[in-house]
Amino acid sequence: MSAQVRVLIAALGGEGGGVLATWIADAAIADGYIAQRTSVPGVAQRTGSTTYYIEFAKTDGRKPVLALSPAPGQVDLFIASELLEATRQVQTGLVTAQRTFVIAPTHRVYTIHEKIAMADGRADVAKMLAVITRFSRARNVGDFAALAQRTGCQLNAILLGLAARQLPISSDAFRRAIRADGRAVEANLRGFEEGFKCADAPVVQTHPATDLQAAQNGVSTIPDSLAAEVNRLPEASRVFAREGVARVLDFQDARYAGLYLDRLHRFAALDGSSGDFMKELARHLAVRMTSEDVIRVAQLKLRASRLARVYTEARSKPGDLVEITEFLKPGPAEILSILPAGLARKLLQFVDRRGWSSVSFPMKVRTTSLWGFLRLRALTSLRFLRPVSLRGAEERAWVERWLHLVERVLMVDPGAAIEVVQTAQLVRGYGETWERGHLNWRCIADDLIEPMLQLSPTPSHFADAVLQARIAANSDPDCSLLQAVLQSVHKSAVA
Amino acid sequence: MAEVSFKREIESLKLKDGETFHGEGIIAVTKALLQSGVTYVGGYQGAPVGHLLDVLVEAREEMERLGVHVEPCTNEAAAAAMLGASINYPIRGAVTWKSIVGTNVAADALSNLASPGVKGGALIIVGEDYGEGASVIQERTHAFALKSSLWLMDPRPDLPTIVNMVEKSFELSEVSNTPVMMELRIRACHLFGSFAAKTNKPGERSTQARFDAPSPFEYIRLAHPPVTFIQETDKFRRRLPAAQDFIMQKGLNETMGPPVGDIGVIVQGGLFNVLNSRLEAAGLSNIYGEPSIPLLVLNVTHPLAPKQIENFCAGKKSVLIVEEGQPDFLEQAIGQILRKADLNTRIFGKDVLPMGGEYTQRVMGEGLAAYLRANGLTSSSLEEWLASIARNMEEVRSAFDAPLPMRPPGLCTGCPERPVFAAMKILRKDIGPTHVAADIGCHALATFAPFDQGNSILGYGMSLASAAAVANTQTRKPISIMGDGGFWHNGLLTGVAGSVFNRNDGVLVIMNNGYSSATGAQDLPSSAPTDDGRGRGVDIEKTLRGMGVKAIERVRTYDVARVTRKLKAAITDKSKGLKVIIADGECQLARQRRIRPENAKAVAAGKRIVRTRFWVDPEVCTGDHSCIRLSGCPSLTIKPNEDPLRTDPVAHVNNDCVGCGVCGEVSHAAQLCPSFAQIDIVQNPNWLDRIRRKLSAKAIRILGGEARG
Repeated sequence: MSAQVRVLIAALGGEGGGVLATWIADAAIADGYIAQRTSVPGVAQRTGSTTYYIEFAKTDGRKPVLALSPAPGQVDLFIASELLEATRQVQTGLVTAQRTFVIAPTHRVYTIHEKIAMADGRADVAKMLAVITRFSRARNVGDFAALAQRTGCQLNAILLGLAARQLPISSDAFRRAIRADGRAVEANLRGFEEGFKCADAPVVQTHPATDLQAAQNGVSTIPDSLAAEVNRLPEASRVFAREGVARVLDFQDARYAGLYLDRLHRFAALDGSSGDFMKELARHLAVRMTSEDVIRVAQLKLRASRLARVYTEARSKPGDLVEITEFLKPGPAEILSILPAGLARKLLQFVDRRGWSSVSFPMKVRTTSLWGFLRLRALTSLRFLRPVSLRGAEERAWVERWLHLVERVLMVDPGAAIEVVQTAQLVRGYGETWERGHLNWRCIADDLIEPMLQLSPTPSHFADAVLQARIAANSDPDCSLLQAVLQSVHKSAVA
Repeated sequence: MAEVSFKREIESLKLKDGETFHGEGIIAVTKALLQSGVTYVGGYQGAPVGHLLDVLVEAREEMERLGVHVEPCTNEAAAAAMLGASINYPIRGAVTWKSIVGTNVAADALSNLASPGVKGGALIIVGEDYGEGASVIQERTHAFALKSSLWLMDPRPDLPTIVNMVEKSFELSEVSNTPVMMELRIRACHLFGSFAAKTNKPGERSTQARFDAPSPFEYIRLAHPPVTFIQETDKFRRRLPAAQDFIMQKGLNETMGPPVGDIGVIVQGGLFNVLNSRLEAAGLSNIYGEPSIPLLVLNVTHPLAPKQIENFCAGKKSVLIVEEGQPDFLEQAIGQILRKADLNTRIFGKDVLPMGGEYTQRVMGEGLAAYLRANGLTSSSLEEWLASIARNMEEVRSAFDAPLPMRPPGLCTGCPERPVFAAMKILRKDIGPTHVAADIGCHALATFAPFDQGNSILGYGMSLASAAAVANTQTRKPISIMGDGGFWHNGLLTGVAGSVFNRNDGVLVIMNNGYSSATGAQDLPSSAPTDDGRGRGVDIEKTLRGMGVKAIERVRTYDVARVTRKLKAAITDKSKGLKVIIADGECQLARQRRIRPENAKAVAAGKRIVRTRFWVDPEVCTGDHSCIRLSGCPSLTIKPNEDPLRTDPVAHVNNDCVGCGVCGEVSHAAQLCPSFAQIDIVQNPNWLDRIRRKLSAKAIRILGGEARG
């Protein structure tokens, strides 16, 4: 063990990592250490990853030579402000199982690449936690961001409290450092004490909630007669089917909910149908049967419980008024398609001839005002048109084709059938996203699933091929990877 | 006004004899300038040295008291030229900038300064932006010192040493009539430490004690033939030996460890701490920097004093030269010194250490271990440390099955430049790709995801000039992006004047955010004049019109639809000539810093204040994230989907949102989706607000809707 204590801090620019480093160095100095801190901010300050480094030592009065940068395997305490940044320093090799105590929060600040993924591009939290556990001597990992929010302070104050327990510096020296800094002293002291206390608590491990738990949390009530129908479905799918019934009911009516359940029961009775299969089918069928037409959007924007959510998120104080203004911009296709199919087609042809297809109607609707409310209410009252509307007919045709495909695949390869069910995830959204989704789905259906169904026996990698195609369709908005994947699958399987 | 307040730092600049300075490295340098009796200070902002100028600009009173002229120059060339005052007059001056880029811009003036040489001490503080955290091309300032005969200081990262070297630099400059550069690496600039302060010394001549008459006409002070030939000779005949004598006499370079030994290390001062840390790991030094092998620490890396090198190397079997970056100037110079002195000391350097890249702890450790091994002095503790790193890295590799997502810097929450790039991306879909000449500034962050735009970066304010040949060899007009910072730094002349002069086609987008934002929100000539700022409100549009640019459009950046229309019109317009779009939108960082306290005060005083933020309806959002691909705003993020029927995370606006509205505008302009809503929180609502709300809430409830208030 060397004479120096070495502390590394990883943070995102603008998160207060510099303040945390200052507190620690100042506390060390106040306690009679010689301390040195430095950093590499620059442009990285603008929300990029950055690090701060502190060394301190007690000496015989002479001035020590302290390092300006950390050495791999020689970091005593590592503090991160975010989970991925914590993991990153493990990857650089600076943080090690032999030496480093790690303080890491479990919350995520997603990176741009995780955010722009077309589906779920998030890094695996469980893996990151496992890596941190494996490459640290000891650790304190927990949802410190939530603790900071409860405490009403910045995260770095909590982290300081946690760090105080791991450093040979008196806790009063930290308190003095916070006071000396002079900024938000009360909140920072509160956070420090919370963190300090929290260091005693056993390590907090978070497990991402399973989807089943999530479903049970948000379980909706449905009429008994429909509930009885749901209970005849395989156990694994019931929670989702119940949620699905509620969704479909809210979308249209009991008859429509009956159609949803009939479809599920038809598949439940087929050979090859399993609990997992039914679970995925219940989920995707409900989503596809409640496709977001303009009426649906209006329904969602007027539903109860929405105001409470907005008030909470807006952090409004008692006495404040909250106004909500919706940004809507439907195109002619979206508006006209809620009309009866025949009429809608004629009008759309007319619009097309006139070259008005790309015209759209930007609207900012204030739903907290009577006028805004009335406009959306008028839209929702049109839902009686759905069964005969163009959009309704198109959605029905799509769902039927999809189900037919699922059924045929289920007969030859139940594993692949689950994948075919999941291709429904591609068809979603509005405007361009919606069109692209449909196009991609048709490509996969026509150029992959159909040709493979023609083969006898069906190729062993049917399920994987469909999965790969779906991942490819989700990988870039230009669909270039999907084309490449389809071609390669074609060559290897069909040829 | 700069991004951070320097109240405390200003106080530390006033410290007197017997007091102790505690603070950041670059502020210590600033204090050292004042202790050295500097008469004028200038420079151009940029990390890691920007604070030097920022703090002096704010320390107006103390500067007036000392009679120091402080000038935030419009570019580094202007700063270097300002040092010209020390050619004729015995006054000390210092300038600062980010290197290598700033030194490149300053190069012409630097050559013309170095040739006649200086009477008064001239010091250039450069931030050596190299290695981790660097944002510029990786080159060495050392090359400029060599070619122009400027002396180069590279002090040990220890505040007393740095401060001492600043003071000595002025003396060195004066005894050798040569400008001196001091390079400080990023971590040294941000290093917090302390030193025993001295009372500030006013210059003998200053803004308070002016010269009565100009210097007499002396041809030898001009960088003009025929005296340039005499000046060149003077550089190596007189100035160089004078400098070398001074370096030896004053002991600017430090020898450490035992006087004799078989091996030794010659190290750039700036790398001493890393070296000592690894010598400690090898059991060859301790925490006090007391090595058990001889070290020569070069606080001056140019010129070398051959005698000193010879003395150090004589009797040693080998020496290790620790010199960061390439080419290996020191290694070549030392090799030549030893050869000429006929010393057979073997040189190790770039053979055991890498040619390029930062000398991190690991790199230094590996190089040192290889050197010791080659000399039969293998250090078991150092080898064990390296082996443990290798073992650990092997395990780390096996623990990661996929690379971790990178986290590049990005435009801030609510940045006014984001909507312009969103518009460009929307337009790319509409009319196809366009050549984009990028520039230096915050807008360079649009080269990262989600915008991924920019074909080239040729330097600060160079975008338009870099597109000249492209414009004339493509069917579609290129777009050049330039900030107001780049415009005043260089772009006005190299870009706009050149384009007008040559009647080039092209589209220039000027991001007029009101500050030099990437460097810390310093004022520019076009910044709004304020009581405590330096802005002069020079109008960019009028400037352009004065230069003969006719096609100028002004857009408010947040109006994405309009920006898109104007861009499209400019690109597709068939008429000849430069089209300029001035994109107005104040830097959001600066704006928030300005209005947050104002609003908080107003709310506390019971005034009606509307706080706006955006919100994504999680049930309407389908989790495709198209909106994020057109925004990248830090506050527009994702969160787990609460809907049990769907698994993809939904878009989510967090509470950092400043309500700029770009996400909503983008979803409108790109016809994305209806899940965005604007939330206005009316604080301290007035009676009209309340009545209006009461009535509408009642009506909505009667009609079966939900309402509050």
